[in-house]
Amino acid sequence: MKDHLNIPDHNKLFQTEPYVKQREGKKAFEAPCSEQETAEALAYSKTSEYKDKNFARKSLVVNPHKACQPLGALMASLGFEKTLPFIHGSQGCTAYFRSHLSRHFKEPAPAVSSSMTEDGAVFGGMSNLIDGLENSVALYKPEMVAVSTTCMAEVIGDDLQAFISNARQKGAITEELPVPYANTPSFAGSHITGYDSMLKSIISTLYKRSGIEATPGSGEGTGEKLNVILGFEPYTGNFAEMRKILAAFDTKYTFLGDHSGNFDSPATGEYSYYYGGTKLEDVPKAANALGTLSLQKYSVKKTLEYIEGTWKQQTVSMSAPIGITATDRLVDAISELTGLPIPAELIDERGRVVDALTDSHPYLHGKRTALVGDPDLLIGLIQFCLETGMEPVHIVCSNGDNGFKGEAEALLAASPYGAEATVHIGNDLWHMRSLLIDNPVDLSFGSSHLKYAAKDAGVPLIRVGFPVFDRHHLHRYPVIGYQGTLNLLTTVVNTILQNLDDDSSGFNHDLVR
Amino acid sequence: MEPIRKDEFDSQACGSLTPKTKPCPRPKPGEAAGGCSFDGAQITLLPIMDAAHLVHGPIACAGNSWESRGTLTSGPSLSQYGFATDLNNTDIIFGGEKKLKESIDYIAGRFAPPAIFVYATCVTALIGEDMDAVCKEASGRLGLPVIPVNAPGFVGSKNLGNRLAGDALLQYVIGTGEPEKEVPLGVNLIGEYNIAGEMWDIEKLMNSAGITLMSRITGDARYKEITWAHRAKVNMVVCSRALLGLAKEMEKRYHIPFFEGSFYGAKETTYSLRQMAFLMNDREMERRVDRLTEREEARLIQDLRPYRKLLKGKKAVLYTGGVKSWSIISALKELGVQVVGVGTNKSTDDDVRRIADRVGDDTEYIPEGGASRIIKTVRDRKADIMIAGGRNMYVAMKEQIPFIDINQERHKAYAGYEGLLRLAKELTYSLTNPIWRLASSPAPWDKEEPPYDR
Repeated sequence: MKDHLNIPDHNKLFQTEPYVKQREGKKAFEAPCSEQETAEALAYSKTSEYKDKNFARKSLVVNPHKACQPLGALMASLGFEKTLPFIHGSQGCTAYFRSHLSRHFKEPAPAVSSSMTEDGAVFGGMSNLIDGLENSVALYKPEMVAVSTTCMAEVIGDDLQAFISNARQKGAITEELPVPYANTPSFAGSHITGYDSMLKSIISTLYKRSGIEATPGSGEGTGEKLNVILGFEPYTGNFAEMRKILAAFDTKYTFLGDHSGNFDSPATGEYSYYYGGTKLEDVPKAANALGTLSLQKYSVKKTLEYIEGTWKQQTVSMSAPIGITATDRLVDAISELTGLPIPAELIDERGRVVDALTDSHPYLHGKRTALVGDPDLLIGLIQFCLETGMEPVHIVCSNGDNGFKGEAEALLAASPYGAEATVHIGNDLWHMRSLLIDNPVDLSFGSSHLKYAAKDAGVPLIRVGFPVFDRHHLHRYPVIGYQGTLNLLTTVVNTILQNLDDDSSGFNHDLVR
Repeated sequence: MEPIRKDEFDSQACGSLTPKTKPCPRPKPGEAAGGCSFDGAQITLLPIMDAAHLVHGPIACAGNSWESRGTLTSGPSLSQYGFATDLNNTDIIFGGEKKLKESIDYIAGRFAPPAIFVYATCVTALIGEDMDAVCKEASGRLGLPVIPVNAPGFVGSKNLGNRLAGDALLQYVIGTGEPEKEVPLGVNLIGEYNIAGEMWDIEKLMNSAGITLMSRITGDARYKEITWAHRAKVNMVVCSRALLGLAKEMEKRYHIPFFEGSFYGAKETTYSLRQMAFLMNDREMERRVDRLTEREEARLIQDLRPYRKLLKGKKAVLYTGGVKSWSIISALKELGVQVVGVGTNKSTDDDVRRIADRVGDDTEYIPEGGASRIIKTVRDRKADIMIAGGRNMYVAMKEQIPFIDINQERHKAYAGYEGLLRLAKELTYSLTNPIWRLASSPAPWDKEEPPYDR
């Protein structure tokens, strides 16, 4: 049915006269600051003196840019077939995680909570965990339950191992049901550490239960050749891109953790709690693979250590392969690990993307950029910027460690385009705001949360990473590999061109670019 | 703030009737659950737009929640900043009180807010931080209200958090200020959070009838206006489950009469405006309200005509939290939409009674959450549309069920007469979008029939 009535949306509606008047009238109630004072304070917040004060701030976090461990653990759990993420602690955390992931992927995010209350705080959460396991298995019929903790369970010191084995003894769950668990308090680490802990726990639990002895490269009973880890991956499109690259090689492989199915399921008219994910039986078999390739480093540290130490496998890890050089390294690594030649179709694709980069380079050259994100994404973005002649200036990584800082600085130091850059770890988006205003840039890259600082500073924002709440479907398009590089390039160059059009005064409204 | 005593809350009814079951029932472990008390407390207080809201705890409680609700502001935006003390391992062992003090000082120095609300989290409650003492000390030293909100997540449901936030307002805010001379006495709106700007529509209506909106508790509120809420002549409780206790206590302490009302649907809106004028005990105002509501209703009937034609006889399943099920049912009934299933797990006994008054006998009550349960009702009752919140939205999409978002993330204001028109429009759009035909038809090579005819 077509519309007969013109009803403006709230942004337009509330700019109409009665509402404007109402707003004016309400100023009587506001904090006793004159407009002039407000303007002065705002101006002060844009000075370098304030920037220094802002950076001297130690106790308070303003506008955080990280999520917590159990959110990452939840994502890791959803990378496996018929696995129910179970979060042990008070229930609000689970609701937050589900909303967070739903808002990013525009998909449902199944997860349950043991819903602890103050009884749990006093007497421990054992009965909540046992009841919760029994109820959730009955309700959602999972083949694996992955338990992660919240602050509450950690502070009172719940012993998950003992509780889970009690649950088995009491018959709340069967002996057969795998229940990997990870300690994931939010007061340490971030979503990437939580992802790592849970991934390691799932892999090691399933491996131990299987009785398989790791024999690297034997391929016995599996025929698998390569394990591939994508890590805390906010792009379902990146899984598809990796599948495409691996298919071009014609190699067999196992994704260790593939949540793309759960976050990109088709509309069939029927909702299922479980879509896709790595098959549970494939996990122990992965112990026999030739090697493991990881597309993230900082977010799967413990998992990689486990694979090297226990499976005695060769591992190759790299941060997000964005740009030509980084993707070349990826393709090389696959070729080395599998002994297979580099397929012609990838060579062609590379050529086409290089062509696209040369077409667009005049608009990219010398563009100053600011970057916010998780460590592995940032390494990829820095490489991409340097490769295309863009100059990274501000890099903020709330959950980066010194290893990341060192790597990022070395990368930047190796290129004349990185000369101006500074890398900030442990800082937040209010710091980034000061940086953007104090030392302006042309473009910023980051999650939706950066939009406030970007708007204050008048810098266009390229949405990349996690979370992206305010744009649709970006996660469906890869940002890694040659194709991903092309996607990112398209977004960047067209943002720049759009801004040129928006800024043109009319007589230079160029048709051809 | 007084320590939380569990027995005390259990003994308090959520509604006015003595409940058969425990009020604010505890969630069952192992289910997909809703928000916690911390979340509930924030929801209630965050719409105080010019105040600073500081989360004392690990990063995620703030990191996962800042700027995620559609409660709009008409000016100050300090409330939209995500402030957190970001406790780490060391703080948990040695205590985070010093960090909290420094954070409060920083906010006071930098942002000069009229007040700072400090929220406890599971962690700070468990390690025994004396937040009240830190807030009290800072408050005295800075000459600024620093208000502790003791609603850590584990004490219970989101709804309990709403009530605890109400207690914080009673204890620290209401009654601490006096209205300025030029502010005429009027009505407080309690439990209205200005989602998608609904409060502004309501205020416009009230103003047209000559009724002054005195304190907003708390949609688009300023801290100062809440301090003098005790001088209002009438309290209207918009979301009863959340802050009914606040209204009752204000009646006891300040003798302000209150009523529960809603602005969803023309009938409810008219009732609420009339009730305000009636309790203000002002004949002239009552006459003005009558003239206004008659005019608005008449116009609405005209405007709704094209939509009603399509909506008549359509069936809906309603699953909502904060927005009261019963008042949305009234709104839907006026549009000719039949509610065949309704969620009750966040409703008080009073609410359930009101629901029962408004729906037919064959309407199914959905007492527990979880996507599959709601979907089952939609299927069983052959509903045409699902009306629920964000966490269920994508499940509906998967099941190819037309959907509209009714909860806190919605972008459309549905309150008042204009709101009903918007609701009609949204329902119509959702039901008639051509994508449903495409989505539910089999691919040309697949002859199977769709699950059922919508």
